[in-house]
Amino acid sequence: MAKDNTKDPAAVFQDWVTQWERAADQFSNQFMGTDEFSKSMNQMQNLQLEFQKGFGELMAKQLANFNLPSREDVLQLSEDVRDINRRLGRIETSIRKLAPIDGVGDQQRRKTPPRTKKPASLQSGSQNKE
Amino acid sequence: MAEPAVDNKLIDQMRGMVDRTIQRSIKGVQFVSSGKAPVGLTPKDVIYERGTLRLYHYHPRSEEIYRIPIILVMATTNRGYVFDLLPGQSLVEYLLDHGFDVFMIDWDAPMSSERGLSLADYTQDFIPTSITKVQEITGEEEVNMVSYCMGGVLSLIYAATHLNGPLKNLVCMTTPVNWHEMGLFSLWSDERYLDVDKLVDTLGIVPAEFIEQSFEMLRPAQKTAGRLRVWSEMWNDDFVRSYRAFERWGSETLPLAGEYYRETTRELMWGNKLYEGELVVDGIIANLANIKIPVMNAIAEHDHIAPYKATKPLLEKIGSEDTHEVVLKGGHVSLIAGPNAVRRLWPQIDVWLSERSV
Repeated sequence: MAKDNTKDPAAVFQDWVTQWERAADQFSNQFMGTDEFSKSMNQMQNLQLEFQKGFGELMAKQLANFNLPSREDVLQLSEDVRDINRRLGRIETSIRKLAPIDGVGDQQRRKTPPRTKKPASLQSGSQNKE
Repeated sequence: MAEPAVDNKLIDQMRGMVDRTIQRSIKGVQFVSSGKAPVGLTPKDVIYERGTLRLYHYHPRSEEIYRIPIILVMATTNRGYVFDLLPGQSLVEYLLDHGFDVFMIDWDAPMSSERGLSLADYTQDFIPTSITKVQEITGEEEVNMVSYCMGGVLSLIYAATHLNGPLKNLVCMTTPVNWHEMGLFSLWSDERYLDVDKLVDTLGIVPAEFIEQSFEMLRPAQKTAGRLRVWSEMWNDDFVRSYRAFERWGSETLPLAGEYYRETTRELMWGNKLYEGELVVDGIIANLANIKIPVMNAIAEHDHIAPYKATKPLLEKIGSEDTHEVVLKGGHVSLIAGPNAVRRLWPQIDVWLSERSV
């Protein structure tokens, strides 16, 4: 009679995934953990930045020629909108504190519990000296 | 002829497999079609915000609280809701239930106008301003801080430059102190190869994708392995819920202000000046040896982001007499927010801080 050695297939799969992940990470880290990799990666990054800078300047000129907003302009607009939303939020909070809407509490109306709690060690009379 | 017991076990196993396969298909459709995972659900008020800075106050959950409030200080690369991931897996909820008054310094993506923010802004403006707001609300002079990763670095710099300040106790979690032991990060930002000035001057704000990619390169197989696991466990609602919450957090990496990135690279990564006691912030030397307040240092043994050798030396460098070190198995994130954090780290924070919060 054969012994029952069946294991849950899901558990077997999870074990396999864990081992695969460990091996894959170790392999990658060996490759990426070298001076040569760091040098190559940073060189590529520098090239990319140069290209990005050059392309960005070219695009900005073209957009200006067509009287269109640049990326900087759109970003600034987006940030201004975000800033306005925040200010509106603050105004709303202030109004709510002055004239609360039913069902919407504010921090000052919420009762703060007393700051009298003691840890179990002090409550039992024992003391911890530092 | 097979015995009935073996047959039954095999049948049950096959029945389970079929059931899970069906569940996996049904829930797989739900998984793909569902929106963002709900996170950060513990009720709170935004009591202050300015640019990238957010300060929250969480609604109390106990009838009596400790005198000294806690300010959680989040790392600048990620969202603070990792401290409040899910009900039952929330450090915020845990601290509230154990009688602490909890605030959080969180960060939003800095705007392009904030590209000039530096370490001084974070440690001499944002943190002190937040503390002032907490003092106004609580009526208490003293505060405690529980800080994570780069949040811990900022807290240490604050503590070292505000020696008579209101900071009473400090908990640092996975906080790198010796930046020459940052493993692959140290290698990839080698000053012979990384032109940090070109990077910052070209981009202004260092994009979130750049930061996220740096983290992913440390464990390139992690995302794929995670997806394989969740596919296998798709029938398990708790597993899927936790996975989605962590995945959302990992993907919502924040961009960094350029000057802050430049300064962190030059002064910390290259110069290791915090460790050497040579860091100058806003004209003040941030020497860890000048820190005398009680400090707890929580270290993850298998931390691949802030390695053990980078986080271990903290207690040797500070001047405090009341110190406590916790070394736990686990990684950079699981130490503070995984299922084991609930059982292992959080109770230690509770015991240590409760005795020092009256």
